[in-house]
Amino acid sequence: MTQSSALHRAATATCVALLLSLSSVFWAGCSSSPKKEKPKLTGDPLVDGENFIQNGPERDRVLWQYRTALTALRQGKLDLSKQYLDEALARIQGIYGKDADAKKSRSYFREEARKTFIGEPYERAMAWFYRGILYWIDGQPDNARACFRSGQVMDSDTEDKTYSGDYVLFDYLDGYVTSRLGGDGSDAVRRAETNSHLWKPPGFAPKANLLVFVDYGPPPTKFATGEYREQLRFAGGKSQIVSATVKIGEASGKAVPYDDLFFQASTRGGRVMDHVLANKAVFKKSTDIAGTVGIISGAAMATSNNRDVQTAGLAVMGVGVVTKIFSAATTPEADVRTWDNLPLYLSFVAFEVTPGEHTLTVDFLDGQGRILAGQSKTATINVPEGTPEKVIYVSDKSITPQTL
Amino acid sequence: MKSNTITHLGMAVCIAAAAFGCASSGVKNPSGTPVTEMKADERGFVTGTGVESQDLVAVTDKMSRGILGLDRVARATTPPNIVLEPVVNETRFPINKDIFLTRIRASLNSKAQGKVIFLAREQIAALEKERELKRTGQVTSTSDPNVQEFKGADYFLTGKLQGMTTKAKAGVSDYVLYTFQLIDARSSVIVWEDLAEIKKQGLEDAAYR
Repeated sequence: MTQSSALHRAATATCVALLLSLSSVFWAGCSSSPKKEKPKLTGDPLVDGENFIQNGPERDRVLWQYRTALTALRQGKLDLSKQYLDEALARIQGIYGKDADAKKSRSYFREEARKTFIGEPYERAMAWFYRGILYWIDGQPDNARACFRSGQVMDSDTEDKTYSGDYVLFDYLDGYVTSRLGGDGSDAVRRAETNSHLWKPPGFAPKANLLVFVDYGPPPTKFATGEYREQLRFAGGKSQIVSATVKIGEASGKAVPYDDLFFQASTRGGRVMDHVLANKAVFKKSTDIAGTVGIISGAAMATSNNRDVQTAGLAVMGVGVVTKIFSAATTPEADVRTWDNLPLYLSFVAFEVTPGEHTLTVDFLDGQGRILAGQSKTATINVPEGTPEKVIYVSDKSITPQTL
Repeated sequence: MKSNTITHLGMAVCIAAAAFGCASSGVKNPSGTPVTEMKADERGFVTGTGVESQDLVAVTDKMSRGILGLDRVARATTPPNIVLEPVVNETRFPINKDIFLTRIRASLNSKAQGKVIFLAREQIAALEKERELKRTGQVTSTSDPNVQEFKGADYFLTGKLQGMTTKAKAGVSDYVLYTFQLIDARSSVIVWEDLAEIKKQGLEDAAYR
């Protein structure tokens, strides 16, 4: 064997190895759907939401439906809010079994964020909660209760059972509706009282004919940490607004926080997907190390005076490069897409008022009990005679004034 | 020479592989799935663990058969008048409650051939208004509007949906119990009751757990 033919064979081996690795990257990288131009943001959340739902990536549709439904609810566009929540809930109720996108997101070379977004359990629970409010607004308290129960189910598979199904308001409202429909809601209320870690829910007001849902504060946010951003974590939990006062005529009620979404997001424990991402991170790291070792040792061997060792060295270098490419193509990053217009705190107040038109004011308070200037909301409401009760929703992000 | 050929062949294969890799869209069913007409009692390929059309059909068919097989209905000399009362939903699934009674009513009306009569109590406000217009002579009437012709109920038909849910890392399990009752309006006796129960389980992909 001549020196040149040995070198040529080694070079060929390296070249083939590189091409193979490049083609594998092509397979992984190019197999995604053709790039669709993302819609541009206009700054109007309703316009942007509708635009992204219609023209954005399919995998983000539920995320935009969540966001847009809540924006619509805060603008008093209840039909639009119902439409988007119904579409989102229909999607998240049908996720059982095989899902091609979800399967791909578990592979080494696809990001978790490539899967269809349905949200973490606290986000799914909130979709049910808002749909429940809308059913109650429509005079269907039993369907509202169904939604509150489904919301609670979303939170019932926590790693630590202490935090399983522990939304205070969901159980409280379940009991409240059951009592109003002539049943016994005491079990649900007892669960709500046991789970309360902020404020205990108030006793039932059996004659209440005005029910006010209030929420406020910035939502929990997601971020990725770890060497390869493979660990999903939650941030937030702090709010300038810590409670609210609802006034209607001479009557007023404290809308104190019963549920804290940061608490709910961060007490679920690990996900199955966390193990998948951890495995991806281990694969990425080990292939990276193996690649580096291959390249360095191959380079060292290639400087040898022995032709055979040189040949072997070049081959080892080639394998090292391929391994490095595999490492670079591995994507252990956690999915941090977030329903970003949720509140931090959830509250509820019931009033007994005379039927007719009223003006309702909600003042948001800081930690010292001071009214936060510029944050108050007013609404003109018409309380009907008899049943069904009037149900309204007000947020610190609602438009004001409104007629509800 | 031989090694050159192998090299070129290898390179060609790799380039072809890369090109074919890029040609793939990577999307399952890129052209979508055509609309598939299905029977309402069929389990489709889009399913959840909630109340679905096949459950509605199975439950209401069973209830209709139960009512028709009732001696008081099958052998009644005068067809009994039945009023539908809203179904109570105690499950975790929001549903259109009227759809159960609507299907039972339609099924009985089409199959029972006059053995039962349903009263349109949900339209009572409109009916009273119409009668008042006739009584005051604002609209014409083919019979004496002052004669009470609205019929009273012999029976009330109502139902209840109750559920139990378990959710764990192994998946979600939903059990729904459907019960329907026929209540004698005069004596409050439950003259007929039947049940149907459906249990469904599902597990999400690990990516969602």
